Amino acid sequence: MATLEILQYPDPYLRHKAAPVETVDDEVRALVDDMLETMYAAPGIGLAATQVGIDRRVAVIDVSESKDEPLVLINPELVYPEGSGTCEEGCLSIPGVYEKVTRPACVTLRALDRDGNPYELHVDDLLAVCIQHEVDHLDGRLFIDRLSMLKRQRIEKRLLKQRRRDGDSRRAAG
Amino acid sequence: MPARQRLIPARAGAAQVLAAIADGRSLDAALERTRPRVAEAERALLQELAYGGVRFRLRFEPVLRARLRRPFKPRDRDLEALLLVALYELAMMRTPSHAAVNGAVEAAGALGKGWARGLINGVLRGVLRDPRALAAPADPRGAHGWPAWLAEELARDWPQEWADIAASATARPPMTVRVNLARVSRDAYIERLRAADVEARPGKAPGALILATPVAVERLPGFTEGLVSVQDEAAQWATLLLGVPAGGRVLDACAAPGGKTGHLAEIRPAPGHIVAVESDSGRTERLREGLARLSVQAEVICADATDTAAWWDGRPFDRILLDAPCSGTGVIRRHPDIRLLRRPTDIDALVQTQARLLDALWPLLAPGGMLMYATCSILRRENARQVEAFLERQGDTVAVPVDPGAGRADGAGRQILPGESGMDGFFYACLRAGGAER
Repeated sequence: MATLEILQYPDPYLRHKAAPVETVDDEVRALVDDMLETMYAAPGIGLAATQVGIDRRVAVIDVSESKDEPLVLINPELVYPEGSGTCEEGCLSIPGVYEKVTRPACVTLRALDRDGNPYELHVDDLLAVCIQHEVDHLDGRLFIDRLSMLKRQRIEKRLLKQRRRDGDSRRAAG
Repeated sequence: MPARQRLIPARAGAAQVLAAIADGRSLDAALERTRPRVAEAERALLQELAYGGVRFRLRFEPVLRARLRRPFKPRDRDLEALLLVALYELAMMRTPSHAAVNGAVEAAGALGKGWARGLINGVLRGVLRDPRALAAPADPRGAHGWPAWLAEELARDWPQEWADIAASATARPPMTVRVNLARVSRDAYIERLRAADVEARPGKAPGALILATPVAVERLPGFTEGLVSVQDEAAQWATLLLGVPAGGRVLDACAAPGGKTGHLAEIRPAPGHIVAVESDSGRTERLREGLARLSVQAEVICADATDTAAWWDGRPFDRILLDAPCSGTGVIRRHPDIRLLRRPTDIDALVQTQARLLDALWPLLAPGGMLMYATCSILRRENARQVEAFLERQGDTVAVPVDPGAGRADGAGRQILPGESGMDGFFYACLRAGGAER
């Protein structure tokens, strides 16, 4: 297992729409294991393959306090969104930015697990937020896309300043 | 998504706690949820502001209402809570006023409501300009933040004592512990506390120690091994006054969180068998954990105590401890959210539940056995009047006078009012079944 590098906004790959997994084989399982390790090390509660530059519809999540309830999502689909809730979100690819995002409060998740078996899960609370956030990543969407234009511009300005301060001119140009 | 949410200042956290209580959550639950979001260095301030905000909410609500052109929208309840917390801080704490105001303004930003900074600043500066705004109202109800319905009933029940009762709700209770006398003497434990730099003095109950200042339980020597439990002295008396005979069969009905079950098991010479019944499965689990910490044995049953057909094996009990569900009006100083969460209709339902429990458990008593009816309430319809009604229903019953060294006789029982001899408000009635004394 290895920890992977997490791409940082505004890396253009974060806008890539990931391709479905055809078969859940050892290569996919190795990716899942590396992603879990990367997520726990971050520390994070969710990570999508797009964030580590891999073109697969794979995400891992663990919202438990004890960090021992990993959830593996392969080719996830969200159906039956219900209600609406607001939760403060952040992103491992956009460090230091936390904003309230409004999304459906409950969703039903259909996905394959680490062994390729299909499962269905009805979720709410933080888990629902996290699942929607990670599935967004697989579609090339970021949580800041869901903010008002004004808020988003303010965040981008702040991030630009921060990058200049950090002297990372390469990313700022990208 | 990242694991950690952004930290928020203590004042914003306290506002969230106060707003959560307005939505029906308990203070403990709300604090538990918010605490991890506040930096460790600020958690003591969070605790102080949250408790203070809850204790004085009803006192400062009218002050605030007078200064707002219109009430807050439901989604801005956290701002209202933030202002109430700030009023508490300005009136009751020693924070310099500019620091309290700036803190509240900054907290509005942390709550994601930067637009309200001007409003928060304006309201609080307006309050500071008016020397009378923060003065305590003359009547005890307003000064100590009581809801009208409860204040009226208590003033009727306790006309002489009402002013003291009112003030007790905003007083800080002592931290009292019960030494496990089965394992260590009280004097020896005082020495262990002294070695750990914790000052304590003995209470009237044989195992009671009152700490000079509250400490985290982890600082109590031998806490995890069960040498000591946190329990108010009034609650300790409920078990002591029952007079459990050596080898006797004892029932602890409505047992969670298990403080009294543990106490029953610590009594020497020991009772023969202890049955603890609790209806809530989550609380039953915590009861088991508590008993495991004390390494004591009791038969724990998760059941509705009134449904005796479902859980009772038919063997009568020599003693029954019925620490009945109640309004908690005697422990408001420890649980200030009680005044904000209780509704008048709750009391009617509680009175009925208490009567049902008394009627259901009474037949389980062996001839000559005794039942201790106890509540942490100071409402007479839950206490003296409840017992009076029971005695009318049950002919062959004698009330045995008990004396916890404080309080006053009330009807067939004894009432301690909150703060008397440093204790929580509590009621005890010891009822003996007909037949030879056991």
